[in-house]
Amino acid sequence: MALTSAPPRTVRRVGWGQRLSRWDVKLSPYLYVSPFFLLFAVFGAFPLLFNIVVALHDWHRRAGMGDFVGLDNFAWVLQQPLFWRSLENTISIFLLGGVPQLVLALLIAAILDQNLRARTFWRMSVLIPFVVMPVATSMIFGQVFGQFGILVPNLHALGLFTDSSSPFFQDRFLSHVAIGSMVVFRWTGYNALILLAAMQAVPRDLYEAATVDGAGRARQFFSVTIPSIRPTLVFVILTMTIGGLEIFDEARLFDGGGTGGGQGGTDNQWTTVMLYLFNLGFGQWQDRLGQAAAVGWIFAFIILIISLLNFALTRRISSSDAARGRPRRGRRSYRGAQDVDTQSVVARETAGDAMEGTTL
Amino acid sequence: MRITTRAGAVVATAALTALVLTSCSGGGGGAGAGAGEATDDNKPEKLTVAAWMDFPPELLQSFEDEYGIKVVVDSFPDGASAQTVLRNGLSSDGAGLSDVHLIELDWWTEMMAVPEDWVELPEIPDRWVDWKVKQGSVDGVITGYGTDIGPLGIAYNEEMMSAAGVATDEDSFAALIGGDSASWQSFLDAGREYVATADNYYIDSLSSAFQAAINLLPDAFEDPESGKPYDMAGNAQIEELFMMFAEAAEDGISAGIPIGHADWGAGFQNRQWATVVTPAWMAGIIAENADGIPGWRVSSTFPDGGGNWGGSFFAVPATGENTAWAVKLADYLTSPEAAVQWFHTTGQFPSQLEAIASPDIAETENEFFGGQRLGQVYGDLAAAAGDAAAGGYRGENFAGIQTLVTDGIRLVESGSATAQEAWDSVVSEFDALGFDTAD
Repeated sequence: MALTSAPPRTVRRVGWGQRLSRWDVKLSPYLYVSPFFLLFAVFGAFPLLFNIVVALHDWHRRAGMGDFVGLDNFAWVLQQPLFWRSLENTISIFLLGGVPQLVLALLIAAILDQNLRARTFWRMSVLIPFVVMPVATSMIFGQVFGQFGILVPNLHALGLFTDSSSPFFQDRFLSHVAIGSMVVFRWTGYNALILLAAMQAVPRDLYEAATVDGAGRARQFFSVTIPSIRPTLVFVILTMTIGGLEIFDEARLFDGGGTGGGQGGTDNQWTTVMLYLFNLGFGQWQDRLGQAAAVGWIFAFIILIISLLNFALTRRISSSDAARGRPRRGRRSYRGAQDVDTQSVVARETAGDAMEGTTL
Repeated sequence: MRITTRAGAVVATAALTALVLTSCSGGGGGAGAGAGEATDDNKPEKLTVAAWMDFPPELLQSFEDEYGIKVVVDSFPDGASAQTVLRNGLSSDGAGLSDVHLIELDWWTEMMAVPEDWVELPEIPDRWVDWKVKQGSVDGVITGYGTDIGPLGIAYNEEMMSAAGVATDEDSFAALIGGDSASWQSFLDAGREYVATADNYYIDSLSSAFQAAINLLPDAFEDPESGKPYDMAGNAQIEELFMMFAEAAEDGISAGIPIGHADWGAGFQNRQWATVVTPAWMAGIIAENADGIPGWRVSSTFPDGGGNWGGSFFAVPATGENTAWAVKLADYLTSPEAAVQWFHTTGQFPSQLEAIASPDIAETENEFFGGQRLGQVYGDLAAAAGDAAAGGYRGENFAGIQTLVTDGIRLVESGSATAQEAWDSVVSEFDALGFDTAD
């Protein structure tokens, strides 16, 4: 606050440097993320949108775009008994592969969470099935489940499945079991490691408190571990759902693949929707690309619905957790076990969570 | 917020424009027509050939010695992978294509859907059997030079036949399956006779045999004039053939494991079957898979006189850079001398007249098949087949409909359906596809 009159202020000219730096601040974030979005736009978004164009036209694989047929392709697909059969197969394979996978992944993660010797070795080797290519897995499992593999002759000797020469390739349910086993083989280790990471973030004080309260190992697992890793579990279930619904490699290569096989079974016992799409658009038929595109969009819609269901379920779980005040518990336990209230609070929380666990 | 809306508008406009432009361009055409002259001016340094079989070792070297152009083989593990690459290449203006491509008869129609994709090849009179030239042409324009053909024969195991007490040698096996008037019915009846006393199956796969039988029909699924598929429910000849094979499948004469199935090789090693319908190109594959199992022979008798299954062509994509010299290479690779070399390397049977007649092929003894002169055997089978070898009409939907119908046979083989149920499901699946059928 100067009382003396100051010289009139001249207009400050903003130099180049300052203007550039202001642009820098505004634009840089967008530039830093643009490579991904550019690539995504070209290789992800554009094909996705172009697929709509394909689905609305009669499209010959070589001759290209035909007449505009509107929603005819969609109507055609929904009338195909094979489409519905492959949808049933897909859901069946997904459940037969997903549920055991999840259970095993949880168990393995819980075991790896313990103080084992050569911990890193076990944790790495659990990932080895994931590293094996799906193609190789399918070929080997195809041989194992095949007519002359190690499984079927022994099962026949035990008197099981004697009415079919190759039960895992002829019976619909058994073929789903076989393919489900491939999925379990591949993804259990991967999911186990993700769940393990989540389990390692659970504060050890909780386990101590639970032990003090008299909870056994199994009880601790269900009442402390699983509720604590719930967000990760939800993520794993979501990715497993989406991946399981899109199974293609294993289904295609189960009986030999390209040369003579790859149909999904003589009666389409294990044709998944992705395999159906592939055979429709890129298999024997030459002018069904439009219908294949329609299958793609219909299935994307179905996956979207399932994912939304998943999401709704998630929010219900997470919100109920927040209402129960989970952060409060964490903070309390960090403040120290000397806190008299902690133990009873933890006991109440544990009991409450256990109950919640069962209702789900 | 302003930036977002404006940026959003820009992006949306760009995307829409791109979509419209791309959809408008659709499937483009190639150069078409002839390749031009192969002169020293436009001689390339190297040429590529896409194929999935072994090449005779001296063949490419002698081309290089004569013309100074190195020939590189783009090798694929099987026909299906080559087919995929070709499909993608044709749709993307020649990306990833070789100068010369091997094309199998089964997908010839598919690849020739747009004839402008391929270079017109000059006629070479009297080199190939007539029908091979016709198969390799589109609307009278030659686009493929023939390599091999697949005269149909039956491979059978003499030891298994003797053990079952139904036949002991070539002549008695021929008599068993019907002799000079052998038909599919007599062949299948022989199967029923065989399984009555044998401890294994008669044939590896009735669906493969059914496919061979289809190859003999002049117009199996589609009307040659209009190109439209026949209505399956009213297709009497297919229904009759289907029921014949399906009923035989019901009687359990087939193991249900066709070539290409993961268990096919294991089936040979486990002595699961005694006969296989064997076109010439399959003989070598059987020798590999049945290595160590004695007694396999090829019979000179075939139901309904015989026919052809498969065979390939060398064709030149029009989008190539060196089409003139590629045509010369295709010519060289399909010469009778090359065909003889190929017979010795892979066992594939030539389509070139001179090669078929050459004593080199007729007199070579095949060690696996007990010293049989397979060149002679298949030559005779090809000659006996006559016109039927040209095969029937194959329209656009032939491959898909054929798979649909042979799946019906596989259903019965696996015991999942009776013959009538399988036929009904074939008809209903065909109807569900909603074809515009010929009347």
